[in-house]
Amino acid sequence: MNENLFASFAAPSMMGLPIVVLIVMFPSVLFPTPSRLINNRLISIQQWLIQLTSKQMLAIHNQKGRTWALMLMSLILFIGSTNLLGLLPHSFTPTTQLSMNLGMAIPLWAGTVITGFRYKTKVSLAHFLPQGTPLPLIPMLVVIETISLLIQPMALAVRLTANITAGHLLIHLIGGATLALINISVTTAFITFIILILLTILEFAVALIQAYVFTLLVSLYLHDNT
Amino acid sequence: MASSIPVKEKKLMEVKVGELPGWILMRDFTPKGIAGAFQRGYYRYYNKYINVKEGGVAGISMVLVAYVLFNYCHSYKELTHERLHKYH
Repeated sequence: MNENLFASFAAPSMMGLPIVVLIVMFPSVLFPTPSRLINNRLISIQQWLIQLTSKQMLAIHNQKGRTWALMLMSLILFIGSTNLLGLLPHSFTPTTQLSMNLGMAIPLWAGTVITGFRYKTKVSLAHFLPQGTPLPLIPMLVVIETISLLIQPMALAVRLTANITAGHLLIHLIGGATLALINISVTTAFITFIILILLTILEFAVALIQAYVFTLLVSLYLHDNT
Repeated sequence: MASSIPVKEKKLMEVKVGELPGWILMRDFTPKGIAGAFQRGYYRYYNKYINVKEGGVAGISMVLVAYVLFNYCHSYKELTHERLHKYH
């Protein structure tokens, strides 16, 4: 069972060729480019959603921060669509791989930090010491703030990986338990099935929420630094 | 039997069964040709089901079902062990 449980998280490859590249590129097929003023229904729905999200997400940024709009919107679209596609049966979710999430988190976080240091050096350094701290506490607090800054990309990546992986694992386990319980006691199997349904609803929400949280945090780091 | 139009330019439905091997061999198998075939297929599907005035949920759900089936075929080998065993 152990081998079967974690086998779905292995990167898929066909005869040694990594088709994980194809799976990572698949969500882009579901977002066609609009070519006219008034498009078909799929594109219109996506345009409306993107407008809604971008207005809310970019409201707190100043002119400099808004140059990141494309990056943030494509980030939330990518993570959201990849997580939602991973809820289909038998599919592979790229965001369960820590390597990919680190690859997304570290460059973005580093970008915000370097932007802050480059354009507003004093203010960025001043973030290491909150206002009004008592004098004896200052050295320790600077160390703590540095550590909390350096841990931000790790936290971003591990948060996304752990949430999605844990959700998928729970669905696998509870589904397996439901199947195994059918032969033993049908009512318990039914209760477990209800739990499975609730869990699936939660996973849909988690898929979207994780995308949102990731993007929101990146934009917050950006806001601090522009 | 010679036909009036050369075999190469005919569409698949118009090729006679006897000419089929020749027709297949004459298709363009260069990377550019294969890319062109994928592009033609994509736009054929897109313009028929999605890029219409009253597209429904069928257009995109067919794509998702095809994705599920593709992943199922790919993980068939690991799944065949998982049928009704007593111990997993």
